[in-house]
Amino acid sequence: MRLLGRVLFLPIALLVLLSVAGRASAIDLVETPSLAARVATGELPPVAERLPETPLVVDLDGPEQSLGEPGGTLKILMGRQKDIRMMTVYGYARLVGYDRNLNIVPDILESYEQQGLRRFTFHLRKGHRWSDGQPFTAEDFRYFWEDVANNEELSPFGPPKTMVVDGEAPRFEVLDKYTVRYTWTNPNPYFLPALAGARPLYIYMPAHYMKQFHVRYADPDKLARLIEETHTRNWAGLHHRMDEQYRQDNVDMPNLQPWRNVTPSPAERYVFERNPYFHKVDSAGHQLPYIDRVIVNIADSSLIPAKAGFGESDLQARYIRFDHYTFLKRGAKQNDFDVRLWHTARGAQIALYPNLNAADPVWRDVLRDVRFRRALSLAIDRELINQVLYFGLARPSANTVLPKSPLFEPAYRDAWAEFDLETANRLLDDMGLTDWSGGIRRLPDGRRLQVIVDTAGESTEESDALELIKSDWRRIGVELFTKPSQREVFRNRVFAGSAIMSVWTGLENGVPTADMAPIELAPTAQDQLEWPKWGEYYQTEHASGEAPDMPEVQRLVELNRAWRYADSTDERRDIWHKMLAIHADQVFTIGVVNGVPQPVVVSRALRNVPEDGLYNWDPGAYFGIYHPDTFWLTAARREAVE
Amino acid sequence: MLTYVVHRLLVMIPTLIAISLIIFIIIQLPPGDYFESYIAELQSQGESVDMAKIEFLRKEYGFDQPILVQYAHWALGMLQGDFGYSFEYRLPVSEVVGDRLYLTALISIITIIFTWIVSFPIGIYSAVRQYSWGDYTLSFLGFVGLATPNFLLALVLIYIANVFFGTSIGGLMEPQYIGKPWTLEKIGSVMEHIWIPVVVIGTSGTAGMIRRLRANLLDELEKQYVVTGRAKGLPPIKLLLKYPFRIALNFFFADIGTILPSIISGAAVVEIVLSLPTTGPMLLTALRSQDMYLAGSFLMFLAFLTVVGVLVSDLALAALDPRIRLQGGATR
Repeated sequence: MRLLGRVLFLPIALLVLLSVAGRASAIDLVETPSLAARVATGELPPVAERLPETPLVVDLDGPEQSLGEPGGTLKILMGRQKDIRMMTVYGYARLVGYDRNLNIVPDILESYEQQGLRRFTFHLRKGHRWSDGQPFTAEDFRYFWEDVANNEELSPFGPPKTMVVDGEAPRFEVLDKYTVRYTWTNPNPYFLPALAGARPLYIYMPAHYMKQFHVRYADPDKLARLIEETHTRNWAGLHHRMDEQYRQDNVDMPNLQPWRNVTPSPAERYVFERNPYFHKVDSAGHQLPYIDRVIVNIADSSLIPAKAGFGESDLQARYIRFDHYTFLKRGAKQNDFDVRLWHTARGAQIALYPNLNAADPVWRDVLRDVRFRRALSLAIDRELINQVLYFGLARPSANTVLPKSPLFEPAYRDAWAEFDLETANRLLDDMGLTDWSGGIRRLPDGRRLQVIVDTAGESTEESDALELIKSDWRRIGVELFTKPSQREVFRNRVFAGSAIMSVWTGLENGVPTADMAPIELAPTAQDQLEWPKWGEYYQTEHASGEAPDMPEVQRLVELNRAWRYADSTDERRDIWHKMLAIHADQVFTIGVVNGVPQPVVVSRALRNVPEDGLYNWDPGAYFGIYHPDTFWLTAARREAVE
Repeated sequence: MLTYVVHRLLVMIPTLIAISLIIFIIIQLPPGDYFESYIAELQSQGESVDMAKIEFLRKEYGFDQPILVQYAHWALGMLQGDFGYSFEYRLPVSEVVGDRLYLTALISIITIIFTWIVSFPIGIYSAVRQYSWGDYTLSFLGFVGLATPNFLLALVLIYIANVFFGTSIGGLMEPQYIGKPWTLEKIGSVMEHIWIPVVVIGTSGTAGMIRRLRANLLDELEKQYVVTGRAKGLPPIKLLLKYPFRIALNFFFADIGTILPSIISGAAVVEIVLSLPTTGPMLLTALRSQDMYLAGSFLMFLAFLTVVGVLVSDLALAALDPRIRLQGGATR
């Protein structure tokens, strides 16, 4: 017996040692200098205990990136207090996120499995903690699902729409302390992209913090007192006010982002401090983020380009437009920053939307004739607009996906997008609009062919482009008038059909992959300016609006639905191509240029910011997919006194 | 006198009710409500919206109820001292306005003092040395200040301040002092920034004041008692300041009524351009996003101050000028 014990002692001891050592020590961890003082006094645990057992190790030894040193303060500018939500966007700590190649990879999650887009099993990182040190476990998911999303008073309309498929909510299971599972009977292809979104779908909440505001868990007297103090109506109002993870205006609420807000509102200057329990580490053992603090200064949005031009921001792209480029370049020399040109990912920077649901019956028939839309598209000199407005740096194109998307085809870009006045005139003649008077054609009912384009009056780019288009269209006998308006009035006019044509930006997501939903290509929402009533029909689930009566649009609706039930990425890709081909052929929207460069002001002291990147809301999260927690400041700047 | 004051106070009540109705109706006139414009704004930037939360807030604050009910809700709340909740800032209105009130008052008071300090000597000089070169030059400068658009002057001064003095653009102080306790450096930084709004707003105000003072003083200087005083050998400056000047100042007291609300509201356009943390930009943001409670309550506060201010200035004028007290009843 004793012999057995002696024999087994060594291997068992070794096993124990290895299992303890295996905890986050594949790399040698280095304590964060700015937190060292707090660790020494015992206020914070040492770095090995702050990280999860298997942190996300970021490999920065590449051609474009380098390992950095922790420390320093980053200054950025925002236009309104609400904009501090951009720090959650830039921080981009998500359960799963997009990487630079727009693939979805686990981030906060250690791993995940999915079967046929019906069953998702998420594995959390053992030992992962919230920013206040409390453990992040499946309880946070359970609390959200059972006590928030399915609580009648907190969610009178039920769980978030993205989680409800064909009227069915998922079956939620907690498999163990670090594993949860969601199961639907029908596929839910929107789930992962929603979790990876710039504004994410939150399916978790810090249960240990939020329980004090929930009638099921809180002490009734304390709850009543809190309700009174915050002047809310009832506990549901109180809970809703406190649970805002995206906007970060509750400074007491813990979160998982690399930086968290410590400045209560209202304020003109917000300080974001590093999250000591952030789950990422670089390959040299430094816990991320590198930068200790981010300071967000609020200034009027029209002053921000000027302030950036005088060097008051270390990283700025928001509120900076292409027409500020020359001004910024001039300031760059004296004020120690670079101006890089990233690329926007909109399907079109400026797109015209003939309103297929126009109220005027004559116009509706004309606009529904594909020859009319094609003629208008052919009669636009895109290269001229490119040269005049964008110094030739943009790309003339129809309103379609960009080359960076795997779904791109040159045929989509060039469809009906050449400058061909002869064919345009011939198409209009074929339509029967051969009655001319004073250089302008006449509509079938005798009125002059005057297209009134509604604009939201917010962009001088749009007005300038429309001026150029006006002179082009005159050559095919179409007169263009611009009607500037105000955003809500503009939208209401389009929705009601009073506006026959409007102008806005093109596809919101111009870099889709086959696994992203093609909802922009089919009628799905009322704010699609080319078919507001058809979009309304589907958005309200047939409650209002009109059903589409054009066969091509009906086909798009079918394809959109088929995409949801498709079983493989190949099938989805096939559907995408069919839908893009229909759009290229039918010219439902007339795009002008895309790929407009976005100037990004980057301080010369800031490293690891890509030279050329994609500046897009979703996917992209503006700077999110490039992970600002891996940006670092030079030593000189770190030592500078704030 | 007492009956007069009581009468005025009673008249204040229907005035304020009428103002509150007008404010409420005008703010609600644009189509939709705060949430619709919020959704429209987010959708136009491509951001998705958390509809559940918005529906919840809409129900909780009664946005689905008829207009009159919403008005009653707001008006009764104000009477109880609850100014409501700002959706834009996600805070009670009193907290949003509170901080900004002090800075607004500071800028406004300094501007008013600057305007008086500049316009009084110029006005007196213009009246006394009427039609002289000095009169023409100074009046001309005043009119140039009046004619130049405030925002243009503000932008030019920001640029000059940055290029020649290295002052940061806009704001009331260097960013690192915001929210920190008052130190000597912070005060210095504020002084560095504050001269721009003061000069811009002040220059447009001085022209009007110079002309009015000049006109009133010229009226007085013609009068008999001035000639008598001069004949009796009073030193000219003492003669000027002790009698005609004080009479010409009457209209300043009449102005107090409008000074009080202007201290709180400041000069909105300049403040927006300079990105100052004051009430002007806050009001503009609130109105644009139809943040009902913030905009409405703040405007009601201004209306209340105006009405009170006018009452105060009427009483002050009556106290100052015996002619009003004694002649008032006779003209009925």
